[in-house]
Amino acid sequence: MNAKRFLLEAAALIAAAVLCALVSNTLAARERKLALVGYYPSAQKAPVQTAPPVVQPVAAAVPAAGTAASPPPPTATETVAVRPAKTPAATVTAPAPAPAPPKKPDLARFAVHPDKPYVEIAYNDVKALHDASVLFLDARRTSIYEQGHIAGARPFSVWESDIDDKVRKLYDERPDEKQQGQAIVVYCSGGECEDSHMLAQKLWGIQFNNVYVYKDGYPDWVAHKGDTHTGSNP
Amino acid sequence: MKRWLQSPWLTIRVQLALGVFFVAAALPKIVDPPSFAHMVYNYRIMPGGVINLMALVMPWIELLCGLALILGIWTAAARSIIAAMLLTFIAAISINLVRGNAIDCGCFDPNPRPKSRAERLDDMRFVIYRDVGMLAMVAQLWYAGRRRDEVVGDGL
Repeated sequence: MNAKRFLLEAAALIAAAVLCALVSNTLAARERKLALVGYYPSAQKAPVQTAPPVVQPVAAAVPAAGTAASPPPPTATETVAVRPAKTPAATVTAPAPAPAPPKKPDLARFAVHPDKPYVEIAYNDVKALHDASVLFLDARRTSIYEQGHIAGARPFSVWESDIDDKVRKLYDERPDEKQQGQAIVVYCSGGECEDSHMLAQKLWGIQFNNVYVYKDGYPDWVAHKGDTHTGSNP
Repeated sequence: MKRWLQSPWLTIRVQLALGVFFVAAALPKIVDPPSFAHMVYNYRIMPGGVINLMALVMPWIELLCGLALILGIWTAAARSIIAAMLLTFIAAISINLVRGNAIDCGCFDPNPRPKSRAERLDDMRFVIYRDVGMLAMVAQLWYAGRRRDEVVGDGL
C-alpha cells in the first residue's frame, strides 16, 4: 500500500475524531462537559496503596459526657499533619458555673491553616462542623450527588466543566479574608476517592485556608446515620 | 496454516469482531467524558493538562477506527491506529501493575462497580491478556493484508 495514502487516511481518521470530540463536547449537557485543559496537580503521582479504612461504630462516635468540655483537635490521618489548635484565651479564663445553655459546637479548634491545602478529618469532627452549619461541598459527580448527599452540601464535582465557575462563585460569596477563613468541609466517596482532595487543592489555590477533607466520605456518613438529602438541591 | 491465516473468511470475521469490540468500548466513554477523564487520571501517567483532551478524543478515535473496520473503509490505517492504541494500553496497565497501583482500566465502562484491590489487580492482568489477544487479531489482519493489499474493504 502507498505509504502516503496510508498516512493521509490515518491523519484523516484522527482529525475526524478530534473534530467529533470538540463538537460533542460543545453540545454536551453541563454534567457531561469537560474543560479542554484540565487542572490535576498530582496527575503523575502514583498513590500510596493503603488498607481500606475501618468505619467507626456509631457508639464510638458519641463523646463521653466528661469529655464534652474539652473537645480534641481534628483527627488527622497519616497523610496530613494537623497544626495544633490554639485555644482562645477567653475560653481558658471562663469557668462559667451557670446553668448549661444549649450546646453550641466549639469551632475554635478548626483554625485556619494557610500552610497546607487541607486537613483530613473523621466523622466526629465532620459531625461537629455539620452541626455548626459549616459549608459542605460534595466533590462527587452530580448524578451521584442527586442520589443522596450530606444534608446541606452543595454539588462541586471536580470532573465537570463548571467546577471553576462554581469555585469562582464561592469566592465571590466570600470575598474578604475573614470569610475565606471559615471552615469548609469537602467529601467524596471515601476509600481511594481523591476528588475531595482535588477540590480542596482548588479551594486552597484561591485563598480558602480552612478546608477539611472528610476522608471516609459519604459512605461513612451514611453508616453513622448522618442527615442526608436526595435530589439536586442541598 | 499460512493459507488459513490469509483466508478472506477468517479476515472478514476478525475485522468485524475487532471493529465491534472498539465501537462497543467507545460508546460509554463518549456518553460520559468526565467519568472517562477520571479513569485516565487514575493511571497517573498523563500530564494533568492533557487528561481531559485525551478523554474527549480517544473514544472518538476508537469509534471511528472500529467503524472503519466494520465498513471496510481505510482498514490499513484503522488497524494500525488500533494496534498503536493496544500497545499503549498494555504499556499503561503494565506500568501500574508494576507500581502496585490497582485501577479500573475504564476500557468498556467508565463507571465500574466498586472492587477490592485484589479484584482490580486480577482484572488488570486479564486486560493485558485480552489486549494481547486483540493485538494477535490485528496481526492476522496485517498478515492477510500483506499478500493482497486489502482483502476486505479498500481492495474489494
